[in-house]
Amino acid sequence: MSVVFLCLKIECMFLGSDIVITVENLKKEYKLVKRDPGLKGAIKSLFNRKYETKHAVKGINFTIEQGETVGYIGANGAGKSTTIKMLTGILTPTSGKVTVNGLVPYENRQKNAVNIGAVFGQRTQLFWDIPVRESYNLLKHIYEIPEQEYQETVEMFTEVLTLEPLLGIPVRQLSLGQKMRCELAAAFLHRPKVVYLDEPTIGLDIAVKVKIRKFIKEMNQRWGTTVLLTTHDMQDIEEICDRIIIIDGGTILYDGGLEQIKKQFGQQRVIHFELADKEKFELPASLIGQAEVLPNEEETKVSLSFDHETVKSSFVISEMMSMYEIGDLNIADPKIETIVEELYNKQEQGGEHEKVLANS
Amino acid sequence: MRKYWQIAKGRMQENTAYSAWYWAGTVSSVMRLLIIYFFWEAVYANQTTIQNINLETMLTYIVIALLLQGFVGGVGNELAENIKEGQVAIELMRPYDMIFKMFAVDIGEKIMYLIQGTLPMVLIAYFFMDLSFPKSPETILLFIVSALVGIWIGTFFDFLVGVLAFWTVNVWGVRVLKESLITFFSGALVPITLFPDWLRTITEFLPFQAMVYLPVSIYSGLISGTEVYMALGVQLFWLISLYLLVRVIWSQAIKQITIFGG
Repeated sequence: MSVVFLCLKIECMFLGSDIVITVENLKKEYKLVKRDPGLKGAIKSLFNRKYETKHAVKGINFTIEQGETVGYIGANGAGKSTTIKMLTGILTPTSGKVTVNGLVPYENRQKNAVNIGAVFGQRTQLFWDIPVRESYNLLKHIYEIPEQEYQETVEMFTEVLTLEPLLGIPVRQLSLGQKMRCELAAAFLHRPKVVYLDEPTIGLDIAVKVKIRKFIKEMNQRWGTTVLLTTHDMQDIEEICDRIIIIDGGTILYDGGLEQIKKQFGQQRVIHFELADKEKFELPASLIGQAEVLPNEEETKVSLSFDHETVKSSFVISEMMSMYEIGDLNIADPKIETIVEELYNKQEQGGEHEKVLANS
Repeated sequence: MRKYWQIAKGRMQENTAYSAWYWAGTVSSVMRLLIIYFFWEAVYANQTTIQNINLETMLTYIVIALLLQGFVGGVGNELAENIKEGQVAIELMRPYDMIFKMFAVDIGEKIMYLIQGTLPMVLIAYFFMDLSFPKSPETILLFIVSALVGIWIGTFFDFLVGVLAFWTVNVWGVRVLKESLITFFSGALVPITLFPDWLRTITEFLPFQAMVYLPVSIYSGLISGTEVYMALGVQLFWLISLYLLVRVIWSQAIKQITIFGG
């Protein structure tokens, strides 16, 4: 065991691969007070507390290298936020090992804090009642950022995120989109090596989302910032991340490239055809056994589903066009969203699925 | 050090954000002063001394106690709110010592209160009320030291109650209890010398008297000579023990930390 470990260590030294985050067999359990329903239960719980253990994260492993952009996805309560909290040092794991930049976050919280930045979509790290500029100024002192570096950074952020009109306004008077842009700048202000983004685009409109994604990508390229992103918006993942980790029920379902998973799970294509006369429609003989008719509510539309491996889209389209008058057609691209859904479903059918009530 | 001073300054800035609220604080401070002043004048209407304390000494005691009482609170409430709402998560991700950070915030608060609440009260007391001053500059010096120590004892204690939020989530009940204990046992309401003997004995073993009663007694001359140094010794004892307790309990809290509602 130790030989293997040593070899790995030597390998790391020689290959110079900069591993920033290491997570080994990480577990987190919560103790929750169990209550009987109603007032009676509430009173009873005052005297006799029963606890139940929730396994939020059940032994996960992964490593992330410097400069990677990783999408960390999963349903609500899958254990995403719990993992991130352990990486930031806010939570102490029940067991297992975490290192970030060679530090154990929960043991060296202050030292670790200098190297990391974070945005929690539902919390603000700016100071509520004072103008944004003052908040940044305070962060400058807290992170001990040299004056010149600070000026340069703020100038650049102001340009990329168009912050200029917002700097003089107290945070409480900003709209959600404006606030999120300011939050993002705050997270990157001290040029951290690692940035954790927990649902940074939640509740935002498309224009702001685009701006935010562009900013994250740019920071990643410019400073080689490692980004770990959780989101429910698959567009975020597709545009920002080159690797995804899917977690469900506290265990990792998938860890790998975005393209790979698309290939692996995304071979099922669907084409929607608009027909002049749907009544007469029958599946062309050449497509029987190859494609499947999906139920479609709309009066003029027919949807065909097929495996991209065995039949090409062009073949399906040409066969349909030779037999029917096609008004319009629409090919549904495999979205990571549907793939993830598929993965979840598989897991749930697997029977051992257990909903975990983690804080997410 | 610098970052903590900036934090204190930031808090002072935040406090001026709502100007109506700010001036309302001044008005309520002055009102409290006037009410308590006329109350004790009425009590003394038919007698010249109560247990050897004359009106002037009593008023001096009560007014100085009122001024000090404004400072013995702290940011424990805010800490508790932070914990309850999960905001503490953000705090724990920052490169500062959370205890020192909270103390810095507390200092910011207190500097603002000094200007907003204490200063108007001092002016009114100085110009319109018959209060006595300590006889020697030495006493004034001892009072200042004792008052500062007392304020910090109050701050630590308040912090301690705030940290309890880690275990109880809702600390409202504990805080109400804390407020009434302090008001009563610190001697902010009436001098502890007026308590019956058994209650005085209890009080002597509690930290609360070190917050208000001891410094004010030094100021108003209720205690003097070597007793003063005894009092300072007691205060130092509480200051150090409470600080250590804060540290120990805080590190325990950090260990067990679970963030609520994240």
